[in-house]
Amino acid sequence: MDSGSTPLTARLCNGADCQPFSAIVTRADTIIFEMADYAASIRAVQRGDSLVGAYSNVGNRGPRTIPFRAARGRWPAEPAGPALLGIWNAWFGAEDRQTPRILEFLDGPEGLLGTVLSNSGDYGTFWGGADGTRFSLGHFDGSFVYMITGEVVDGAIEGIFHAGLRSQTPFRATRSQGEPHLKPPTEVTTADTTAPFRFAFPDLQGRIVTNDDPRFRGKVVMVDIFGTWCPNCQDAAPTLLELYHAYHGQGFEVVSLAYEVTGDPEIDGQLVRRFKEKYGIPWPILLAGMNDTDLTAATLPQLEGFTAYPTLVFLDRTGRVRRIHAGFYGPATGIQHTKLKADLHTYVEELLSLK
Amino acid sequence: MVRTATLALLLAAGTLPTGVAAQQGSALAAERSAYAEWLSSATTSPLAAVAMQRIGKGVTLGPDTTDIPLQGFGPATVSEQKGAVTLTGPDGRNRFLPRGRAVTIAPYTFQVLGQSGTSVLVVYGTAGGAPPGWYAPDPAVRFTVALEAPASRERRRVLTLDGIDVEAELAGHLTVPLGASGTRLQVMRMPIPGTEETELQIYFRDATNDHGTYPAGRFVEVTRTASGQYLVDFNRTRNPFCAYSSVYPCPVPWSGNRIPDAVEAGEKYLPHEPGS
Repeated sequence: MDSGSTPLTARLCNGADCQPFSAIVTRADTIIFEMADYAASIRAVQRGDSLVGAYSNVGNRGPRTIPFRAARGRWPAEPAGPALLGIWNAWFGAEDRQTPRILEFLDGPEGLLGTVLSNSGDYGTFWGGADGTRFSLGHFDGSFVYMITGEVVDGAIEGIFHAGLRSQTPFRATRSQGEPHLKPPTEVTTADTTAPFRFAFPDLQGRIVTNDDPRFRGKVVMVDIFGTWCPNCQDAAPTLLELYHAYHGQGFEVVSLAYEVTGDPEIDGQLVRRFKEKYGIPWPILLAGMNDTDLTAATLPQLEGFTAYPTLVFLDRTGRVRRIHAGFYGPATGIQHTKLKADLHTYVEELLSLK
Repeated sequence: MVRTATLALLLAAGTLPTGVAAQQGSALAAERSAYAEWLSSATTSPLAAVAMQRIGKGVTLGPDTTDIPLQGFGPATVSEQKGAVTLTGPDGRNRFLPRGRAVTIAPYTFQVLGQSGTSVLVVYGTAGGAPPGWYAPDPAVRFTVALEAPASRERRRVLTLDGIDVEAELAGHLTVPLGASGTRLQVMRMPIPGTEETELQIYFRDATNDHGTYPAGRFVEVTRTASGQYLVDFNRTRNPFCAYSSVYPCPVPWSGNRIPDAVEAGEKYLPHEPGS
């Protein structure tokens, strides 16, 4: 919060990763921080040198609130010991219903940082501290409130993954020895490769754009299935731009299929236009539908097992699917992000080299 | 000069820092006020629900002979294929109904709930009706207690607060200091349809049922505190949605979850007038 400026400005930070609020309103002694993308808000009242109040949003069963207290200052930058830092293979959930995750912990200038990776991407930057072998890190992006707590015991982590106040999922993690733990992102979703990959959706001017459009003919095409509401898609945009600028001159095209919140072309169109301008995206973005994985799969019947936003579908020069990459490891994942970027560059080069 | 400060959020689950505890009363009042407003005005308020039906092989809507008669609407059909739910109108036009999302096609609002393959369609008319009200807050019915792990794994099909059929897992038992020697209650870990999350719930009966509260019982959520204990605040006891509208199926009382005392806390019940 910048309390020295008029009007008041504030950002929501997870470590050094900060996002602005959509609006800040002051009513009497209450400050309301709006997060319009998530239909959520934080109402806070100053009490001494703290802010107290509640975060609230509206779900299917009515409004939900989570009380909070905010203290002035920063978390102490508590470095974690070598017993915790590094990469861990985790299993979340009860014994007979476990799902894999990868946890990574590192010390940053702001304190202990962490990431949680699943088969379809990461949960963003976690930030917190450690006390000996015990640790606690949180992530709050305006919509999801996550906290991961645990302790290193005999070389393994026993912990709990908290989602909001309600959900606590126990997990156990052991140190990664470099073996694969998650399903490879290229094996989550598959496609019919016997025919060209078909799509036909309106662009932002309402013109129907299809896979037969002359701009895609004979080109290597990356179809980016995304939504402006999706944090991993926001993370992916700069990497996709890098790819486009590096290879467009060699016959590489990109088309983004936007699956948005309302399904109303006017409202969704505004969000997509803002996204296009924010990142300076030069390729067409088409309004494909609403952000429901089942509905997305229904509009793209050649895909099997669609589960993640974003999903990148790579087409060769004949228009057939050569590879599908589900999810995206954002900058918070460090080496995974760097590795993914290098892998995407290599793969586009490989496709371009095919005649 | 720019001065910056970072908001350090502390989740408050029962063990609130000193000073914040004093906010409990106003926090509860704010929650109740927001919920009452939602009940009386939201398009997807249970007070506005006019029908709820499993989609199964398809549901017809509109004329009196259809599965869900809706005056001034249709005929239309709602069907599910590979998890995607579509409403097909009289003009043959398809409209997707995303899971959990309200879609208004005047004068009705439609919402698909539940898991893929066992989806449920809820239809809402005009929002309205009075919220049932609450008992005055009582700090004496807010308990932080231990959760006793179950002796063995047990899964059961139960209905959620909003009448969705889910497979829940017995999370254990906790004992609250109500009744002559305390009352031991089952706690179920219930999946939240459409998410990867779960919640801990107790569906219980007490001596107020049918004497101020809903006859079949009420739900109270259990939250884990930072100290590893569990918070049960009966001031936050809620009605199942079948208390607002008979279109919702009502959860069967959980065997043994009966508090002998009158728990005069949380949400009350206003019986429906016949024909309403």
